[in-house]
Amino acid sequence: MRTKLLVGAALAVVAWFLPYGLDSYAIHVVNVILIFAILAVGLGLVMGIAGQVNLSQVAFFGVGAYATAILTTHAGLGFWVSGLLAIAATVLIGIVIGTPALRVQSHYLGIVTLGLALAFTNWVTNAEVAGGAEGISGIPSPELPGVDLSSEYLYYYLELIVFAVALAFGLFVVRTALGRRMRAMRDDALAAGALGAEVPMLRMTAFMLASVYGGLAGVLYAGLIRYVAPESFNIANMFLLLAMVIIGGRQSLIGCVVGAISLALVREMLVDHPTIAQLAYGSVVVLVVVFAPTGLAGLPRRARAYLDHRRGARGTAAQLGAFQPYEPAASASGDELLAVQGVSKQFRGLKALDDVSLTVAAGEIRGIVGPNGSGKTTLFNVISGLYKPTRGRVVFRGTDMTGRAPYRLARAGMARTFQNLRLFGDLTVEENLLVALDRSRTLSAWRYLLRPLNVLRRDRALRRSATDVLHRYGLTQFASLAPKSLPYGIQRRVEIARAVAADPALLLLDEPAAGLNGEEVRQLAEIVRSIRDSGRTVIIIEHNMGLVMSLCEQITVLAGGRVIAEGTPSHVAGHPAVIEAYLGDTGEFEGATR
Amino acid sequence: MQVFLQTIVGGVSLGAVYALVALGFSLVYRTMGLVNFAHGNVVTVGAYLASTFYLSTKLPFALAMVVAIVVTGAIGLVIERVLRPLENKDFDLMLIGTIGFGIVLDALIIMIWGATGRAVPSPVQTAPIDLFGLRIRTYDLVVLAIAALATVLLVLFLSRTKRGAAMQAVAMDHEAATAVGIHVGRSNAIAFMIGAGLAALAGGLVGPLLYVSPALGGALGIKGFAAAILGGFGSIPGAILGGLAIGILDSFTAGHFQGYSELVTFLVFTVIIMVRPTGIFGERTVNRA
Repeated sequence: MRTKLLVGAALAVVAWFLPYGLDSYAIHVVNVILIFAILAVGLGLVMGIAGQVNLSQVAFFGVGAYATAILTTHAGLGFWVSGLLAIAATVLIGIVIGTPALRVQSHYLGIVTLGLALAFTNWVTNAEVAGGAEGISGIPSPELPGVDLSSEYLYYYLELIVFAVALAFGLFVVRTALGRRMRAMRDDALAAGALGAEVPMLRMTAFMLASVYGGLAGVLYAGLIRYVAPESFNIANMFLLLAMVIIGGRQSLIGCVVGAISLALVREMLVDHPTIAQLAYGSVVVLVVVFAPTGLAGLPRRARAYLDHRRGARGTAAQLGAFQPYEPAASASGDELLAVQGVSKQFRGLKALDDVSLTVAAGEIRGIVGPNGSGKTTLFNVISGLYKPTRGRVVFRGTDMTGRAPYRLARAGMARTFQNLRLFGDLTVEENLLVALDRSRTLSAWRYLLRPLNVLRRDRALRRSATDVLHRYGLTQFASLAPKSLPYGIQRRVEIARAVAADPALLLLDEPAAGLNGEEVRQLAEIVRSIRDSGRTVIIIEHNMGLVMSLCEQITVLAGGRVIAEGTPSHVAGHPAVIEAYLGDTGEFEGATR
Repeated sequence: MQVFLQTIVGGVSLGAVYALVALGFSLVYRTMGLVNFAHGNVVTVGAYLASTFYLSTKLPFALAMVVAIVVTGAIGLVIERVLRPLENKDFDLMLIGTIGFGIVLDALIIMIWGATGRAVPSPVQTAPIDLFGLRIRTYDLVVLAIAALATVLLVLFLSRTKRGAAMQAVAMDHEAATAVGIHVGRSNAIAFMIGAGLAALAGGLVGPLLYVSPALGGALGIKGFAAAILGGFGSIPGAILGGLAIGILDSFTAGHFQGYSELVTFLVFTVIIMVRPTGIFGERTVNRA
């Protein structure tokens, strides 16, 4: 931490005195590089942090520059007013371009944003107000009392300050709640939604952030060059920008800046051979995605891992601690918490659920068992909002929640684990828990602008709670590790800890004992009982009959998408339909259920 | 009515070219779940290769086309081989990798053929046919015939040959395909090669219709992609219908919106994707990537 501060301070001093050693051409180059660096930070936020493929960043840049140009030359407004309005305009465009992200992702989003960027260049090339192919010249330079900003040396300081603030704000977002949630969404949008992250809102926020950075860069560009033309915002520049972010390392904002600076310098050195430069950075992009997907920013860590590997493993392996039971709390047992009423779910020809009804009382541990393919996980997916039932209703805490988005159900007090573990792979164990602990709305992200200290204070409080959760589940020693590096049993425990950290009234566990050894299953039973005793209700899908029989008070048996039996463990175990579903042939079972 | 029909006829031949580009996209997508962003640049390479052999070495047009297809097929193999370590792991990275290849191909095109374009004379010299007052260029008919033939051959390959069936299997479940002994990497390589070959075919055919320039493939690529999505990504009849639809849409927007035709086409395309991401013949492929 201290070395980072020192390096930062040294860089700041160098940046401050840089213009004294540069001639007038070099300072111009540096000014352009800074603008690219701001653009790259914006692209890094939306692509690297939030995982939204955005090939429109150059259009945001263009909107900012063109709006400034049009407002200053046609409307006769001052530079600063125009700049502010231009950024507002860019944010509006950012919302428009981000809207497709609500429906499509990945490749589709890439092509849509690329198409919209092309539409933008098409518009400015043709529109009279944008000056057509000639563009707009004669943009006034910004005025500041006592400072002559038409001098590129002094303009450098304006850019430097904007850049420093923009980068600091970006880092602030990435390292606190909002950025963590975006990274969680990037790694696994489904799991993030099931933990209460408002995925649509987050995606729009990411696009808005990117557009603010694009707009800022555009305004600075208009003030620096004082001339805008369509070719500055074409697709070739978009790909150059993309190359900067990929080569630098998209998941690290500092990496994006390093990528922008180094690529811009290389391009400057090869200014007489632009095609060679293009060939070079294209090849480097290909090499980076194949051999170093984390880019330049990821190299130090890879080098360290390699050295550690060469030296042999050092230190002792982290140990799983014992689970510390929760304080028992009096729960309002007996009230109906969840009611599934006549739910059917059809997948084309396949009827996965057929008129399933069940009610779960508060404070219960309910087991759901059944042969493979009997619809257990489908039922969970319907309850937690991942699937919309074809028919029927899901009533949770007295409210009809049928077909609500998973994040709404999560906010209403439901949490779940997944059959095939869905931990956020690029977040640490602690961050996985932090995402669940953070119950704030994405809308409250306005605090980042107006009350940054409040954000920091809340983040510190969250970290304290995370430390408690880590301690309770015996995971303290794994806090800073990546979940993928942990043994399977520990990953299962992390996922349960994460689900409970979201403070649910109802916890859905999908095969929590799968892949666990005998001792781990015993610990799991203890954990689940303690979770229930702390005032929560648990529904558990499980194949391990010993666990289900000893843990659950009520068991629902599914077969072929229907409920064939329900009751206490001993009642269910002796039920003829259940025995036939597990052992007998289907002909007899059909008869027995009717 | 006359104008309306003439506009449609004008869009059909370009539509057939879009359909070929869309087929290339779809074939690669259905086999490996990847959108090849370098596809448009491969189209440009194909167009330049075909026109170069046709114009400077005086090869017959058909032969020039075959040479172009073989060379671009090899380019397709190279792209697939380099990106193979990422297959079925990280789709976003692969997408960026293909963009990287697109940047490289774009630079190579400018290095070899220069930044200015060239006009390619039509290889068919007969006068336009007059049908009920509609003027139909003979070369348009040639384009349609070749596109139809290529589609039929592709469908036959996929449904009647063992290699084609293996590719279908990989498309459905690459793990299961591995389990029954199909070499998934090789299957993907063939998909990429055929995709690139189709791109060259489209590029070669479009040469006499449009001006061959380094920017050619970008426009064709994105419209071919739009066609593939419109029809339902991964579906072969969808790619054909989507191609023709985009061609005709293009023809109408060019008539009505002049310079803004591209803007209108992309906006319409965005709205369609938002309303129905799976396209006309869509399977549930959207979440595959």
